[in-house]
Amino acid sequence: MGQLDGKVALVTGATAGIGLATARRLATEGATVHITGRRKDKVDDAVADITGDVHGFTGDVADLGSLDRLFAAIEERSGRLDVVVANAGSGDLLSLADVTEQNYDDTFDANVKGLFFTVQKALPLLPDGASIILMSSIAGINGQPGMSVYAATKASIRNFARSWALELAPRDIRVTALCPGPVDTPGMANFLQRAGSSSLDSPIPLGRLGTPEEIASAALFLASAESSFMTGSDLLVDGGAAV
Amino acid sequence: MGQLDGQIALVTGGTAGIGLATARRLAAEGATVYLTGRRQDKVDAAVAGLPGDVRGVAGDVADLGDLDQLIAGIRDEAGRLDVVVANAGGGGWANLADATEQDFDEKFDINVKGLFFTVQKALPLLTEGASVILMSSVAGINGSPRMSIYAATKAAIRNFARSWALELAPRGIRVTALCPGPVDTPSLGGFREQFEKDGASERDVAVPLGRLGDAEDVAAAALFLATAPSSFVTGSDLIVDGGMAVRA
Repeated sequence: MGQLDGKVALVTGATAGIGLATARRLATEGATVHITGRRKDKVDDAVADITGDVHGFTGDVADLGSLDRLFAAIEERSGRLDVVVANAGSGDLLSLADVTEQNYDDTFDANVKGLFFTVQKALPLLPDGASIILMSSIAGINGQPGMSVYAATKASIRNFARSWALELAPRDIRVTALCPGPVDTPGMANFLQRAGSSSLDSPIPLGRLGTPEEIASAALFLASAESSFMTGSDLLVDGGAAV
Repeated sequence: MGQLDGQIALVTGGTAGIGLATARRLAAEGATVYLTGRRQDKVDAAVAGLPGDVRGVAGDVADLGDLDQLIAGIRDEAGRLDVVVANAGGGGWANLADATEQDFDEKFDINVKGLFFTVQKALPLLTEGASVILMSSVAGINGSPRMSIYAATKAAIRNFARSWALELAPRGIRVTALCPGPVDTPSLGGFREQFEKDGASERDVAVPLGRLGDAEDVAAAALFLATAPSSFVTGSDLIVDGGMAVRA
């Protein structure tokens, strides 16, 4: 008996790291999970790798036509969505002086615009009581030197959780912002390699990076009935890094 | 197989409302639960009413001698503590203009001083990887008119979570602030009356989800914070308020 038996979930950007671990955890708890990624080979690998009822979709959340096709496919296969984990996004290590227009547009398009329209286009499929989890970051709380564009996108996402919690409350739909701190993923490894491990502004109090599974278990809590009175707020999973 | 099999938990102020619901949930997950309250009859009634391994200790967290006895008893019987839910505390109306010195002292002594020394005295018993959950409130985030003393005590508690998370991290001990919004418990009584007096529905006045919370909602959040699923969560708030903090 999983916590999500009979439920239908969507996790965007689920071919690696936090997204993959979250999709895996929701599937383990009994959900039918739809995952997305931009590369078909990676989507296929993830579907093969996750045990449970998992369906892959190749597309870019920043492309609204692609989103329309995604939700048409979900509607046809599952008819509804109980859980949306809007996770797709990325960041580059670039100081203020070095950011190009392309860097800016790519990051805001994927992280903010793509997330916005993912949720908007999901709305018709959400029953009362659904849970929407927006993947923010502690960078969206405190800023992040060398990643100011990324950090600002994550601040926008946290703010969406508050506005949408109020807008969707009449339908009993909950919206929360999951804010990971530094987590051991390919993306983080890449960042640390390029920036140097001393680039983490301050030591992490718990003395280690988080694991993707720790973020996934927080996502499960937010997706399930255990958090049914939570909406419009953050859940920080950061080893104390934001303090 | 409960999530807390073999673990030892303490819930202060565990005879009613959120504390009682939390003690119930932790015991249901297999923990041995020590609960406290100021009145022996209420402690006994709570223990009798809860399935599982639940033990009651009468005492006042604002009395440091009582705390010493509580911790000594737990040490003698169980030898350690894996989960502390520092929940004992109270509210009550107090306008700035009318509050008395007694109003002030009572609330700060129980909610802040009592909580502080509960955690301090528990320290020698805490295992590596233990979880300390401090019961704050959304009032500690946004303030609360006519309840400014209560709100300030809850703000102090949230702040403790940040400082202690840093202090105790080397021992792997996590400290979090659980911030309920309006929850349907006996101590909410006055707040509900105010709702009705103001002539507004719950949704209009304060709670986007249009209802009061249940004590079980807060207990479920406490369970999350007490267990491995939150192993990377420390120094932060968990707000369980139906969206109320967004509006305020």
